[in-house]
Amino acid sequence: MAVITVERLCKRYAGAAVPAVDEVSFTVADREFMVLLGPSGCGKSTVLRMIAGLEPVTSGTVSIDGRVVNSVPAKSRDIAMVFQSYALYPHMTVYDNLAFGLRRRDVEPAEIARRVHAAAGKLGLSEFLKRKPHALSGGQRQRVALGRAIVRDPRVFLFDEPLSNLDAALRVTTRNELIKQQQEIGTTSIYVTHDQVEAMTMGHRICIMNGGKVVQIGGPLEVYRNPADTFVARFLGNPPMNLLPARIAATDGRLAAQFAGVVVALPARALPSLASYSGREVTIGIRPEDLYESLPLREPGRFARLPARVVAVEPLGAETLLMLSLDASGDELVARIGRDTALKSGERLELALDTDALHLFDPVTTKAIV
Amino acid sequence: MPALASLGERVRRVPLVLFVLLYTVVTGGPLLWVATMSLRTTAEIFKDPYGLPSPAHWEKFADAWFKSNYHTYFWNSAIVVVCAVALVTVIGAMAAHCLARYGFRGSRLVRFLILSGLILPPQLLILALFQILLDIDLYNTLTGLVIVYVATHIAVTVYILEGFFAQIPQDLFDAARMDGYSDFEIFWRVTVPIGAPALFTAVTLNFIVMWNEFLFAVVLLTDDDKRTLPLGIMHFTGSHQLDVGMAATGLMIAIVPIIVLYAFFSETMIKGMTAGAVR
Repeated sequence: MAVITVERLCKRYAGAAVPAVDEVSFTVADREFMVLLGPSGCGKSTVLRMIAGLEPVTSGTVSIDGRVVNSVPAKSRDIAMVFQSYALYPHMTVYDNLAFGLRRRDVEPAEIARRVHAAAGKLGLSEFLKRKPHALSGGQRQRVALGRAIVRDPRVFLFDEPLSNLDAALRVTTRNELIKQQQEIGTTSIYVTHDQVEAMTMGHRICIMNGGKVVQIGGPLEVYRNPADTFVARFLGNPPMNLLPARIAATDGRLAAQFAGVVVALPARALPSLASYSGREVTIGIRPEDLYESLPLREPGRFARLPARVVAVEPLGAETLLMLSLDASGDELVARIGRDTALKSGERLELALDTDALHLFDPVTTKAIV
Repeated sequence: MPALASLGERVRRVPLVLFVLLYTVVTGGPLLWVATMSLRTTAEIFKDPYGLPSPAHWEKFADAWFKSNYHTYFWNSAIVVVCAVALVTVIGAMAAHCLARYGFRGSRLVRFLILSGLILPPQLLILALFQILLDIDLYNTLTGLVIVYVATHIAVTVYILEGFFAQIPQDLFDAARMDGYSDFEIFWRVTVPIGAPALFTAVTLNFIVMWNEFLFAVVLLTDDDKRTLPLGIMHFTGSHQLDVGMAATGLMIAIVPIIVLYAFFSETMIKGMTAGAVR
C-alpha cells in the first residue's frame, strides 16, 4: 500500500551541460502500475534510481505516502527493484538469492523458508532452489529476480527494463506472467521500458519522457489516441504516425487543411482551437491505420482522397504495410491496410483518409492543437 | 583419414613438446639437484657435486630443524608471513573495494598514491624504514617486519584486487542495497565471495614473495632467534662457513609451504590472474 509522488525532480551530473532529469513530476496511485516510457537516455532509469534511493536527488522531492524520502537510504525505503541484468548473486543458490533480503530484515528462518517456497512455487522455481544462477536459463534467472522482489513483500516494486535481455518469444510469455503477478499482488509498481508494446499492454498509465522531461502522462489508449506532441505521436505506434506539413485556410466559410494538393475538411472538435491558425502552417498527423486502400462503405463523406503511388509493399501476414509517395507533394507516407491487397510497387491509387482521425500539431512548438 | 590427420597433429605438436621438455629441465633440474644435495653431506657434495644421495642422509632434516635452529627460522617466517598476508589482504581488499566502487572526491589521488608503491624500488626505502623502526622501537622485532611487509605489498594487492572488483556489475551492489545491506555488509557478503579468485591470487603471490623476502629481513632483523628462513639459509653460506649440504636441506624445508600452496591454489590463482587481465 503506497502512493508515490515525485515533485519537480531534477538530476544534474557534474560537468553535464543539461540536466539528465528536468523537473519531473507525477503521482503513482496505490496499487497502480505506472510505466515510464521513452527512448534511451531520456532519464527514465535515473528517475527510477532516484525513487529507489540509489541515486542522490539534485533537487525536487520523492515522497512515499506523503513522507519525503530524499534523505532516507535505499535500504530503509521498503522498495524492491528488478534490474535489467537481473543482478543475481552468482555465489549464492536460488534459495539464498531469494532469502538474502529477508535475512537482513531479521525474519524468522521458518518464515523465510515459507515465503521463499511460496514465491518459488508461484514462479515455477521450486525445483531450481539448490542451483546457482549460472545453471539457469535467461527466463529462469528473470523469474528469480522477480521472486527476490516478491518475497520481500515491499510497499513498492520498481522494474528497470526487466524483459529487455530476453528473446522475443520469452519476452511475451514473461510479460503476460508479470501482468498476472501484478494483478494478483497489486503492489504499487513503476516500470521503466523503451518498448511501447510493454508500455501499452502492462501500464495502467504511461508516463512518456523525452530529454529528461515528462512529455505526457495518461492511460495507454488515451496517449495513443491523443498524443500531446509530435514526439509522442511518432514514439507510440508502429509504424509511427505520418507527419505532413499543411496549411489552414477557410473554404466556404469553414476551416480546412490544404496539403498534398487536396483540401481536407477538419474534424468539428478541432475547429474552435484552430481559429487562430487560419492562414498559417500546421503539421498534420495521420496514423497508418487511418489510411484505406479504397473508400469504406460507411460514412463516405468523412473520407478524403489522396492520389499516391506505391513505393513498396510489405506483407506482414496479418496486415500489409504500404510505403507511398503522394503525387502532389512527393511526401512519403506509410499505410497499414488489409492483408488481401493486390497492390504492387509502382501502381497508383487514391488513398482514402479518415478525416475524423486527423491529428494537428503546431509546427513551431510541436504541441498538439486541441 | 583420421589416422593421417592425427599424425599431422602430432608432428605439429613436436616443437611445443620440445619446448615444454626444455622448460621442465631448466626449472626442474636445479630443484632436483638441490633435493639430492639436501640428502648428502657437504663433504660428499664437494667430492662429487652431481652424485646421487647414497646413502641418503634423511637425518639431516632433523639436524637442520633442531640443531641448526631451522625450526626457529621457520616459525619466525610463518608468523611474519601469515600475519602480514592476512593484514595486507584485509586492508588491500577494503581499499580496492572502495576505489573500484565509490567515485569519492580525491579517489584518483588516493589510487595514484597507493599504486605509486608499485614503482618504488625497495632499496630506496630501506634506510628510511631502518630509521623509523628504530625511532618507534620496532627495529629488530617481527612486528616491525610485519608492518614493513604490509606497507610494501599493499600496492600490488590493491592493483590485483581493484581490477577484479571493478568488473563486478554495479547492479549487484545496488541490489544488495535494496535488500537492506550496509556498505560494509555488501563488501563482506558480495565483494569478498565473488572476488574470491582474485583474493586467492593476491594471498598466494604475496605469500610467495614474502616467504622469500631477504632485503628487508636482513636489514631490519639482527638477533639469531628472530631470523626468518632466507636469513637462516644465508647463515650456512656466510663468510665464516660454507655448509652447502645444510643450506640445501634448509632450502628444501623452506620451499615446502610454497609447493603446498601451489598444489592447492594454482588453479584458482590462474583463474584470478586471467580474470583480472581481461579488464
